[in-house]
Amino acid sequence: MLEMERVNTSYGTVPMLREVSLRVGEGEMVCLLGPNGAGKSTTFNAICGLLRAESGQVRIAGRDVRDCGTEALASLGVGFVPEGRRLFPTLTVRENLRLAFDAARAPALEFAAQIEKMAQLFPRIRERLDQRSGTMSGGEQAMVALARALIGEPRLVVMDEPSLGLSPKLIDEYFQIVARIRDQGKAVLLIEQNAETALSIAERGYLLVRGRIALQGASADLLRDDTIRHMYL
Amino acid sequence: MDALVAQHLLNWLVLGSIYTLVALGFSLLFGVLDVIHFSHGDVSMAAPFVALAVIQAVTVTLVPDGGTATLILAILAATLVVGLFGVLVDWLVIRRFRAAPAMMALVATVALGTVVRELIRTLYPQGSNPKPFPALTTEVLRLGEVAVPVFSLIVIFVSVATVAALFWLLNRTPVGLRIRAVAEDRAVARLMAIRPDRIFAITFFIASAIGAVGAVFFASHAGVVRFDFGVQLGLIGFSAAVIGGLGSMQGAILGSLLIAGVDTTVQMTIPDGASYRLVFIFALVILVLVLKPSGVLGKPVFEKV
Ligand SMILES: Nc1ncnc2c1ncn2[C@@H]1O[C@H](COP(=O)(O)OP(=O)(O)O)[C@@H](O)[C@H]1O
Ligand SMILES: [Mg+2]
Repeated sequence: MLEMERVNTSYGTVPMLREVSLRVGEGEMVCLLGPNGAGKSTTFNAICGLLRAESGQVRIAGRDVRDCGTEALASLGVGFVPEGRRLFPTLTVRENLRLAFDAARAPALEFAAQIEKMAQLFPRIRERLDQRSGTMSGGEQAMVALARALIGEPRLVVMDEPSLGLSPKLIDEYFQIVARIRDQGKAVLLIEQNAETALSIAERGYLLVRGRIALQGASADLLRDDTIRHMYL
Repeated sequence: MDALVAQHLLNWLVLGSIYTLVALGFSLLFGVLDVIHFSHGDVSMAAPFVALAVIQAVTVTLVPDGGTATLILAILAATLVVGLFGVLVDWLVIRRFRAAPAMMALVATVALGTVVRELIRTLYPQGSNPKPFPALTTEVLRLGEVAVPVFSLIVIFVSVATVAALFWLLNRTPVGLRIRAVAEDRAVARLMAIRPDRIFAITFFIASAIGAVGAVFFASHAGVVRFDFGVQLGLIGFSAAVIGGLGSMQGAILGSLLIAGVDTTVQMTIPDGASYRLVFIFALVILVLVLKPSGVLGKPVFEKV
């Protein structure tokens, strides 16, 4: 579903990602771990084409992201949760969801039915549909951001530190929902600092350190790995 | 009501309407593109010249005395042409500065304003001289002691209708939703399959077309138009948008009404006030900026700079 092959990026003259390769298979849940500043969000931006890779390739659903462009990804079946949620704060919840729904260009889906589906997944959204998203609490915004990624029934969801800033109780609730998405057979790339939680629900993981993939493997192996234990646990 | 006060109110609303039509463009373009399009006044002021050219063409080729129908056709054509001119300005100039510091786009549009003015001056026959601009109508309604020019009513009505249409477009239509999304977060808008460049072109069309209507009213109100009238109209429109709060549509309207209020009051109460009006207008601008740098209704946009 998602393949990144030997991607290099720089900010000006400062090299950032170095030969980053990763893949997420159909229906697979993979996490990308790494400390602050490792280049996780840079990877997110390279995946969605907001940042141009100097070399290497990103393919989503078989298409080169550089060729098809950021604007085409939603209709290829990708949902995004960017770092910091990035809801449109003065737009209502419904408007935020509407834009994502339209972006998916899925003629078989109906907006009202999808809204209903999201409201079942996130009960707190239901009464808030006409509230400006910027006036909601952090936890509610996190749920709306996830609903926005899901409303077009994507086959792949890419999330950048979606649980950041949530209370421990909400984080649990959040990852239960993420696990449910995984169980529905959607491919997920979960970018996280919280290694323990991420590895507990993902099948495989990558560790990014200073722009390079330092480690990769099955979650169970990574949980036992000394580097990860040393860094996180 | 005192006839003089009524006349004063009417003048205030007419000027306020004209300034609003120009100020809205500044605010809209700043809100959506994050640029101060300083040549907006000059681009808008191309409209009366396009209208004059259309009238000329129609009267020479089709009907010798086209009258009001020709004038209305000319104004509609000018609105369309100037709207497209705005799109061209974005594509040729503003687009180059999308990622550049705001100051660069500002300087570029100041330069562009001069280019537009000089183009009008050289392309239009005897472009340095003021051109008489036909009145939409010279009819006057008498309401008791108050003389109400029908032109004033048209200006006010068209402006209110334009503002209503703009608000409807922004808040009730799919394209308006996309404009607001791009205004808030271009990058995420792209993840939602929105192409910001298209939205910018649409926004430039809307802003310039609305400005064109304002400039035509300005010329029709004055009875003449000259290639450099866009400077003053642009400065006033920009100031109105700034004191109302750049980026806020309501602010642009409020700022325009404030400035028009000072304008008409000075002209009415101070002997030879017409000569001093700009002093008072810009004193008000400075005063508001000192008291509330982000404008009356503005978010604190300048604090991060
Ligand atoms: N737009 C940018 N311009 C220059 N440097 C940047 C930019 N964005 C991020 N960086 C730098 O790149 C590094 C990696 O950033 P990021 O990918 O956001 O890390 P992470 O998401 O893993 O915390 C950081 O040192 C950050 O300061
Ligand atoms: Mg990050």
